[in-house]
Amino acid sequence: MSLNVGVIIKLEPDFSEGNVSYNPDGTLNRAETKNTLGPHSAVAAQAAFYAKVMYGAKISIGTMGPPIADLALKQAQEISDAEELQLYSDKLFAGADTLGTAEVLRVGIGKMQGEMDIVFAGHRASDGETGQTGPQTAWKLGFTFLGNVTSYSVDLETRTIRAKRLVSLQGSPDIIEEVEAPLPVFISIDPTFKSSYNTISQRLSFQKYQKEAKERVKNFNNYYKIFNADELGVDKTLVGLPGSPTIVYKVERVPKSTATRSAEVVDGSDPKQLQKVVGKMKEALEAMVIK
Amino acid sequence: MVEKYRHLYVVIEIEQGEIIPVSKEMIGEARRLMDKFNQKYSSKEKVVGIVLGNNIKELSKELIEIGADAVIYCDNPQLEEIRNTIYTKVISQIANDKKIGGQVESDYAEDFTRPRYMFFAADSIGRHLSSTVLAELDSGLASDINQLVIEDIEMSHQQKTGGAKETYEKTLEMYRPDFSGFLWTTILCLDNRNPAFKRDYHPQACSIIPGVFEPLEADSKREGQVIEFVPEIDEQDLKVKVISRKVIQSEVDFETPRTIVSFGRGIKDEPEKNIKLVEQLAKELNAEVGITLPISKKPFSISQSLDSKYMVPDRVIGTSGHKTSAMLYIAAGVSGAMQHVWGMKDSGFVVAINPDEDAPIKDECDIFIKGRMEDVIPLLIEEIKKQIQIVEA
Repeated sequence: MSLNVGVIIKLEPDFSEGNVSYNPDGTLNRAETKNTLGPHSAVAAQAAFYAKVMYGAKISIGTMGPPIADLALKQAQEISDAEELQLYSDKLFAGADTLGTAEVLRVGIGKMQGEMDIVFAGHRASDGETGQTGPQTAWKLGFTFLGNVTSYSVDLETRTIRAKRLVSLQGSPDIIEEVEAPLPVFISIDPTFKSSYNTISQRLSFQKYQKEAKERVKNFNNYYKIFNADELGVDKTLVGLPGSPTIVYKVERVPKSTATRSAEVVDGSDPKQLQKVVGKMKEALEAMVIK
Repeated sequence: MVEKYRHLYVVIEIEQGEIIPVSKEMIGEARRLMDKFNQKYSSKEKVVGIVLGNNIKELSKELIEIGADAVIYCDNPQLEEIRNTIYTKVISQIANDKKIGGQVESDYAEDFTRPRYMFFAADSIGRHLSSTVLAELDSGLASDINQLVIEDIEMSHQQKTGGAKETYEKTLEMYRPDFSGFLWTTILCLDNRNPAFKRDYHPQACSIIPGVFEPLEADSKREGQVIEFVPEIDEQDLKVKVISRKVIQSEVDFETPRTIVSFGRGIKDEPEKNIKLVEQLAKELNAEVGITLPISKKPFSISQSLDSKYMVPDRVIGTSGHKTSAMLYIAAGVSGAMQHVWGMKDSGFVVAINPDEDAPIKDECDIFIKGRMEDVIPLLIEEIKKQIQIVEA
C-alpha cells in the first residue's frame, strides 16, 4: 500500500555564524546574509524521509519563492530523497501574507503526483516566525491539522496515523498528547522531532535511500519543475497582495526603553574592581534571602 | 453609516478547568482598548469572551469579573479536549452568528455581521487555532503581538485602495517585535477597497504574546451577559482522538535557582570555550544557564553535547521563552534586545559583561563590566571562589 507524502519548505536567511550579517544597529542585514533551507523546513524533510524509510513513501516537496529558492529544494531533496520538487514562483505572489501564501501552497499541493496522505511543514520560519502558513494551508486543503508533532507512526492497513504532540502553555508544565487520526493529515513538525531506526532492515533502507538521495540531487533537474501563476491556475485575486488581508504598515526601531537601572561601569581587566563586583553580588544574594 | 462589524471577541483557553493567565491578560487589554474606543467613538461596543469546553459555564462569571462585558460559552462533552478541527468550526460558527452577536448589544443587532476584532493567545494552542479560524473566516491575522493601538488611518495604497486616498476608521495597529528584538513591525488588516478586487477583511485578528499585558483585578460587582451557544457538530469534525495526555517536566529550571547566567552572540570569538566558561561560572553560583533567542537558532557549530544542551529553545529568556525574576542575573555577551530584556528585567541584581558600552543592556543592569567575556569570566570565577560559598539547598 502506498503512502504519498508532501513537504512544504522555505528558503530563509542563514543564521549560522559566517553567513549571517547584522547591521551595526543589531538588525539583520538581508543583502549580505546568505540563504539556506530553513532549519525547521529541514526537520520537516527529515520527518518525510522517516516515512520513506519506514513505509516506502513517495515524497513531493513544494516551496513558494523566487527562482533562487531552488537551493532550498536541492537541500531538502538531499535530506529526504524526494522524487518530485516544485517551485511556485511568480511576481504576482510577491508580498503575500500567510493567507495569500497558503492559497498558493494549497493549489501547489494539488499539483503533486497522487493524492497526498500526509503533508509536513516546519514549525515556523526563522525570519518571519509566524507559524501560521502551515495550519492555514491545512485548513484550505481540508486536511486534519496536527501541530507540534514530535513523533509519529502510520498504520497503512487502516490508513490512520498516531502522533505525539508537544503542548506548551505559559505558566504550566509542558504536555505530551498522543492523538490518532485518519489520513489525510497536515503536520507541523516540532523542532525536537528525531527519527530513530531500530531494526536492521530499517537501517538498511535508511542507507539505501540516503545513497539514492545523493544520486538524485546530482540529477536535480530531472525532478524539478517551476510553476508560475498561470501554470498553477490560481485565482489571482486570492494570492499575492490582493489575496493578503494584512499589510506591513511600518517598520521601526524598537524605541529604547528609558533606562530602568543606572549601571556602574567597571573595567573588566581590573581584578580589584571585580573583587568589589563579586562583593556586591554576594550582598545581593544575601540581602534577598533575609527579605 | 452602516457598521457590520462590532465588538472584540477574545478566545479563552482553559487548562485543567482554569482560565490560563494569557487569557486573563487579553481580557484586561481588551477592556482598556474598548474603554478608550467607546469614549472616542461614542459607542458601546463590547469585550466578549468566547469559552469552549465541558462544564465551563461557571468560568463566565470569572471572565466578567476581570473585564468582559459578555461571555459566549459553548458547553459540550465533545469539546472537553482542544482539538483543532472542531474548535475551529465552533469558533467560526460563533463569529459568523449574527443572532448571537446581536444579543451582545441590541442597538447594533440589525447590522451586525461579524466581530470587528478577535484576539487569540500566541501559545501552542492559540497560534494554530487563530490560523485555522482566520483561514475559515478568510480574514487577516498577525502573530506574536505585544502592543495594540486603535486609530483612524488615512492612506493610499497601490493594492488596498487602488492608489486613492482612503481613511480606514477604527483600525487595529498590531505591533510585533521581529526575531532580533530590535525592529518593531506594525501590521494592519484592511479591507480591499480597490475597485479591481473589492473584498472585506474582518475580523482584524491577532495572537498575543503571553505575559506582556496586565490582567485586571477581579471585581465581583462587575456585571455582564452570559450567552449560551449551541454548536452544530458534524461527526466528520471529530475524527481526531486524544489517546493520552502526559505532563512532562522541563530539564531546564528557571524557577528555583537564585542565580541565572545567560549568554548571547558575544560568545562568537570562541563559542565552545566561552560556553564552557559560562557553564563553569554557573556551577560556581549554583545557577541555571539561559540564552538569548538568536542562540536557539544554533548560529555556531560547536560540539554536539554542548549544542544539544545549551542552544535549545527551552533555555531562551525573553518573550519567546521564559521570564525570570532571579535574585542575581548575569548577562554575558548579551546585547540587550527588547525581547530578551522583557524576560530578565524583573531580576533583583543584574550584572552585564560586554565589551561595548553602547549596548542597550547597559541601561538594564546594575553593574556593567566592560570587557570580553573570555577575559572577564575567569577573573570573576577566581574571585567568587574566594568570596562566595554557595550552600546547596
